[in-house]
Amino acid sequence: MMKLTQKFSLGFFFILMIYSCKPNYDPIVVSTEDFHLSVDRVIDAMVHDIFSPPVASRVFVYPNIAAYEIIAQNDSMYQSLEKQIEHLGAIPKAGKNKSINHSLSALIAHIDLSRQLIFSEDKIKGFRDSLYTKWENINPVEFENSREYGLQVSEFIANWMNNDNYPQTRTMPKFRVDSEDESRWQPTPPSYMDGLEPHWNKIRPFILDSAAQFKPTPPPSFSMEKTSLFYKELQEVYDISERITKKGDESEEIAIAQFWDCNPYVSITRGHLMFAVKKITPGAHWIGITKIASKKDNANYSKTVFAYTKTSIALADAFISCWDEKYRSNLVRPETLINTYFNDEWKPILQTPPFPEYTSGHSVVSGAASVVLTSIFGENFDFIDNSEVPYGLKERSYSTFSEAADEAAISRMYGGIHYRSAVEIGVEQGRKIGKLVVNQLNMIQ
Amino acid sequence: MMSKSIVLVGFILLFSCHEQKERLFIKAPTKETGIVFKNSLTASDDVNILDYLYYYNGGGVALGDINNDGLLDVFLSANQLPNKLYLNKGNLTFEDISKKALIEGNSSWNTGAIMGDINGDGLIDIYVCAVVGVNGFYGHNELYINNGNETFTESAKYYNLDFDSYSSSAAFLDFDLDGDLDIYLLNHATHTQESFGNVTVRSKRNYQTGDKLLRNDGDSFTDISEEAGIFGGVNGYGLGVAIADFNKDGYPDIFVGNDFHEDDYYYINKGDGTFSEQLKNYFGHTSRFSMGNDAADINHDGWPDLLSLDMLAEDEIVLKSSEGDDNIQIQKLRTEKYGYHYQFTRNMMFINQANSRFLETGLLSGIGATDWSWSGLFADYDQDGEQDLFISNGIPKRPNDLDFIKFVSNEQIQKKIDNTKLVDQEALNMMPSGETHNYIFKGSKELKFQDKSGIWIDDNLNVSGATAFGDLDNDGDLDLVINNINEEASIYINQTNEKRHFLKLKFNYFKPNSFGIGTKVYAYSAGILQYKELYTVRGFQSSSEPVIHFGFGSVNSVDSIRVVWPNNTYQTLKNISTNQTLTINPEDTQVLAKEKTTLNKSLVFKQTENNLGLNFTHEEDNYIDFNRQKLIPYQISDRGPGVAIGDLNNDGKDDVYFGSSKFKTPKVYVQGDSQFNEQIIKTIYKDSITEDVEAIIADFNGDSINDIIIGTGGGDFFNNMPPLLDKYYSQNNKHYLKEDFPAYFENANVIKAFDYDLDGDLDLFIGNNAVSNDFGNIPNSYVLNNDNGYFSILKDQPFQNIGMVTDAIWDDFNSDGFADLIIVGEWMSPKFFRNEKGNFVEELTVNQKLNGLWQQIIPFDIDNDGDTDYLLGNWGENSKFKASKDRPLKMYYSDFDNNETTETIVCNYNKDGYYPILGLDELASQLISLRKKYPSYKNFAGKQISEIIEKSDLDSAKELNVHTLSSGYLKNINNQYTFVPFKSELQIAPITSFLKYDFDDDGTFEILVGGNYFGVTPYHGRFDSFPGALIKNDSTVILGNKIGLNFSNKAIKSLNIISFKQQPFLMVTVNNDKAQVYELTNQ
Repeated sequence: MMKLTQKFSLGFFFILMIYSCKPNYDPIVVSTEDFHLSVDRVIDAMVHDIFSPPVASRVFVYPNIAAYEIIAQNDSMYQSLEKQIEHLGAIPKAGKNKSINHSLSALIAHIDLSRQLIFSEDKIKGFRDSLYTKWENINPVEFENSREYGLQVSEFIANWMNNDNYPQTRTMPKFRVDSEDESRWQPTPPSYMDGLEPHWNKIRPFILDSAAQFKPTPPPSFSMEKTSLFYKELQEVYDISERITKKGDESEEIAIAQFWDCNPYVSITRGHLMFAVKKITPGAHWIGITKIASKKDNANYSKTVFAYTKTSIALADAFISCWDEKYRSNLVRPETLINTYFNDEWKPILQTPPFPEYTSGHSVVSGAASVVLTSIFGENFDFIDNSEVPYGLKERSYSTFSEAADEAAISRMYGGIHYRSAVEIGVEQGRKIGKLVVNQLNMIQ
Repeated sequence: MMSKSIVLVGFILLFSCHEQKERLFIKAPTKETGIVFKNSLTASDDVNILDYLYYYNGGGVALGDINNDGLLDVFLSANQLPNKLYLNKGNLTFEDISKKALIEGNSSWNTGAIMGDINGDGLIDIYVCAVVGVNGFYGHNELYINNGNETFTESAKYYNLDFDSYSSSAAFLDFDLDGDLDIYLLNHATHTQESFGNVTVRSKRNYQTGDKLLRNDGDSFTDISEEAGIFGGVNGYGLGVAIADFNKDGYPDIFVGNDFHEDDYYYINKGDGTFSEQLKNYFGHTSRFSMGNDAADINHDGWPDLLSLDMLAEDEIVLKSSEGDDNIQIQKLRTEKYGYHYQFTRNMMFINQANSRFLETGLLSGIGATDWSWSGLFADYDQDGEQDLFISNGIPKRPNDLDFIKFVSNEQIQKKIDNTKLVDQEALNMMPSGETHNYIFKGSKELKFQDKSGIWIDDNLNVSGATAFGDLDNDGDLDLVINNINEEASIYINQTNEKRHFLKLKFNYFKPNSFGIGTKVYAYSAGILQYKELYTVRGFQSSSEPVIHFGFGSVNSVDSIRVVWPNNTYQTLKNISTNQTLTINPEDTQVLAKEKTTLNKSLVFKQTENNLGLNFTHEEDNYIDFNRQKLIPYQISDRGPGVAIGDLNNDGKDDVYFGSSKFKTPKVYVQGDSQFNEQIIKTIYKDSITEDVEAIIADFNGDSINDIIIGTGGGDFFNNMPPLLDKYYSQNNKHYLKEDFPAYFENANVIKAFDYDLDGDLDLFIGNNAVSNDFGNIPNSYVLNNDNGYFSILKDQPFQNIGMVTDAIWDDFNSDGFADLIIVGEWMSPKFFRNEKGNFVEELTVNQKLNGLWQQIIPFDIDNDGDTDYLLGNWGENSKFKASKDRPLKMYYSDFDNNETTETIVCNYNKDGYYPILGLDELASQLISLRKKYPSYKNFAGKQISEIIEKSDLDSAKELNVHTLSSGYLKNINNQYTFVPFKSELQIAPITSFLKYDFDDDGTFEILVGGNYFGVTPYHGRFDSFPGALIKNDSTVILGNKIGLNFSNKAIKSLNIISFKQQPFLMVTVNNDKAQVYELTNQ
């Protein structure tokens, strides 16, 4: 028989128990730093897996859009991209009863889609799992709801993504080499790799109405007549390289060329020994600039996601437009002609990447990204670009995004891998794409 | 309890006893021999694999009797440590006399070591090569002149041999037959050639990197490379040199193996002090990363054959984690634009054809893949009369490991190479080890070798390089001395002793070449010839004992031995006892008449000068099937051109139609009075988009005027593209009218006409080969019934999806008066169809599992027993494909990745299971999910196909098999057929053409055979060295190069007899090359 005091204590005990079943968790705080870190991890994985520049642009854009769409659900300052990107439908809405941390869901969606897109998933999984554990410990209910929603949106975007023709282009025919046609692109030393992504113009664009919307004027007609424009541009590449090589390693032009090398796979051979020196792609370089600008601007979480998203959309379309022209004009690289006609021992300062010459990928994507970043952060936004420091290259500073784009373009001539037309016309081609993105997308209210 | 252990122990003892019994070579322990030499490598800032590309090539070995006491002494050169000389004291004990002998050397990096009598005083001297002038290396090549008292005097400078260049090795030879020994110095480049560069680079001489021919002028040597036509360019990576009189004209020739993309050099001695480099004229292809090589007659025909080593691994894990072959477009670039020859990464076995192109049989011989190989040495190790082969291999670290190249290397090495020269040992440690077991093969008949690795010799893993052979214990058999890296040198003692008989010959020739370098010996016993030539520099960076050694099994007395001295005089010894060492002096010599190639006297084909006007050259278009279907095993678009012979202009004389490839025009030649003349037929010519693979000229519509039917194909056309329709042109009043023809869009490969329903007009069988863009899918083949010029597809015929057809014959195999059909094709068995008065019923005549990659069939009574046998041309045994009844070659066909296009995955059985032939990069280029599944090559390497593809996907895929790749014949025994494979000579390449005719006018038929095929990726190489053959019967086959045919290096498409001025001529149609016309000289 329980005494009254015992009953009382028991009752009190039970009440205590009930209250403790409804604990008070702290809300999970997701910062811009967390988002930047996630983007960095994806970049690391891409460098490891050796993604080519166009394919890398696809890996950036879809996870960013997923994150942005979730943010736009909750932040009235930002408009959804539904219908603005013609073939993007409305993402699933979060359930009313569930308390969703949108920043968290956005980050989770970003991580999940990125994981699907890269090859060595382990690199992302470890990062993800430690975050999951941390968040779960802070607030398991909020975490679970947000995670569920984030993955839901990720699945939706993945389905949309898988209809962009990427799977089909994987097995389309290789680029046919024909060494009898001197004007035609040929594999270049040292690895003589096949032409990368000859069918990238078949990837579904975002804002462009077609891959050829900003088709540039054709390159100067191939000719080895000394009076022709083509020959003069070829000679110019050779002369510049001779001039700056003589200056030696202190040459500013060489530093510029190296800074914008952004070659994901430079192959070094020493006899039978081979190894790769890997760097971020041009797209990743501009994503890095986006990060720098957001931080300098003290952009909040939503603005950060917005900036990444708008920039990566411009980059994705820029690659589609550029590659469309590359495999239309199929122009031979300077190195091939210089070795045949001028100097068989000449090597460009940068390793010639494995795809045709016109127009210059760097120029096009830099033009596009710089216009978008200007629209977000302003005309006279100066910044210090330290995105190449992990790759052994000193930081450089720019007073405007446009200046950086111009330097990126000319760097390809210094590098000995492009003629003047490809970079001048290329950067304008890119600027047009950037302007289209800016004009057509209403993301900020 | 006790008894169990005894049984176990007994069992183990028995097992190891058995193993010991088979052991041909047993390592002699260092403690006993006293040879404690170890080539230890110590890396430093300047000297490491990053800075010197041949840091891992190892030192040298030279064997010779330095004090003429009858005991073989051992000289070993290390890369960084002092040289060592070990005096043989007998009973396999050696004394280190290095210091006293003054041969330790003064150069900082030594390579090969060779012994030879430089100054002609009968004492053997030592020449040690060095690399000087890079990486801080100093010194020069050193020449140790033997003083006769177990000391040497370094005299390189005196003799003008003190080269301070990048030397690998050197070889002695008397190239000008003036009696003294000249030297070929083998050098290598040390920079990495990044761009191919045009072949003309080799014409600009470079002192450091270029090879040199040094003429012995008595007291000194003169570099006569330039005058002699010896290349010494900046891109020569000379690692192997073999001297032999390859063309038996009395003057020694030189074969040089070059690593990387510089071609090997085949220098023919012109006898006037100069050489002519003729690689492309005699070799269809060579090894790519050529290292050591060796010359020896392995098929008893008296002509030296040649081995060239490369670095292809056998082991699945190594194979799939190492860099693969060139892709085919790069190969085209290298050969067509830059002028290099075809090179493939595997060991090559070149069989000398006496002044015709060599046959290359490395894969057929079973010696194609022995991992990173350095030294190959032919010798009769087990003394059974056949040449065996020892191959040393290994490399401390594998620099071509794909994970290292793509994933690991980046972070570690990048910073280092940018800033300093410091090598990061840790980074290099991430490369997988390349220690492997050496290989040894037992020679046998039919050019084949049996792998006795691990049985004849232990299979310890190590890094072995330079190797030499000699009789260290004077028991008659050959022992091996191997220079290893970072491990003591290995001395292997041959256990044969006198169990099987030997004969050793030493020569006492005229000074200054008293050792008789260049002497040739022909030993005849029981009708079998063994031929050897005395050159000591063999294999890699080493020289062997200057003695000729033969094995004679159980023979006690050799019938005769002819010794041909370097001055081309000879003497004959008879009835020589075996099991002895003979020293032979020149005595009663006679002059040797120059060796003539014997052409078969009873029949010669003589190529006409102008082809009788048939100046047709087939040109392939640029289309590469592999660009579109990356995983298919071979091309389908290169099976043309079609050719047909018939009277087109009704004058009773043969005319010719040649088909063409896409966008090229076909050609018609009409027979005139003095030659054939091209005639342009507009209707046919304007249809030039098609790829014409087959053609028939005959009267199909009963108007007594010949018409023409053309079968088309080509992988560039697919689905229902019009160019896939076959065509029928009827002739009327010299005009050709395109007639209606049944519409089926297929890749035709064979059309055979016959009146199978005996209604007076010619019907057709159309055999189709592949479905474009859907390789592995079986196309339909058809019988077309002809009703006076109107063709229709026979209904209810059993030929739908019959297979990937390549050939067919109408043949009445059941002798009932109705012509039956026999059909052959790829991935299928020959199929017999009985003609039951116009209906075709399959007869299961061939019981055995006989799927092949069949290319041709012809009926022929090969065994002369009165019934018809069927000769079958197959893929041949000289490829990387492996097939047997129990372990067939497999091809899985399915849409593995659900992207609406199909793929094929071809798998070989390798040791313990089925593995895909292609590596991860190739497979993932088509099946992208594999990139995710296997983020590293290490994950992928060693996985069987059942692990790579999901079981459910494999099960639902179609599996096609091949049980045999051998060409051969179906032997008819009372209408039951058994398959009998041909001998090795007919297995060298795919056989693509048969022709039955009485070529020698002796009243019986023979079969002429043509083959070769180039439509494969560099992984397979090119099947180019079959010279054609004439089959008289099942025991008489004569190779084409003996009877005047020029079939080597040509992909023969068809063989036809054409009648010109009532005389028969042989017309040969070649894919992507000129047609050939031969006179039959016996007619």
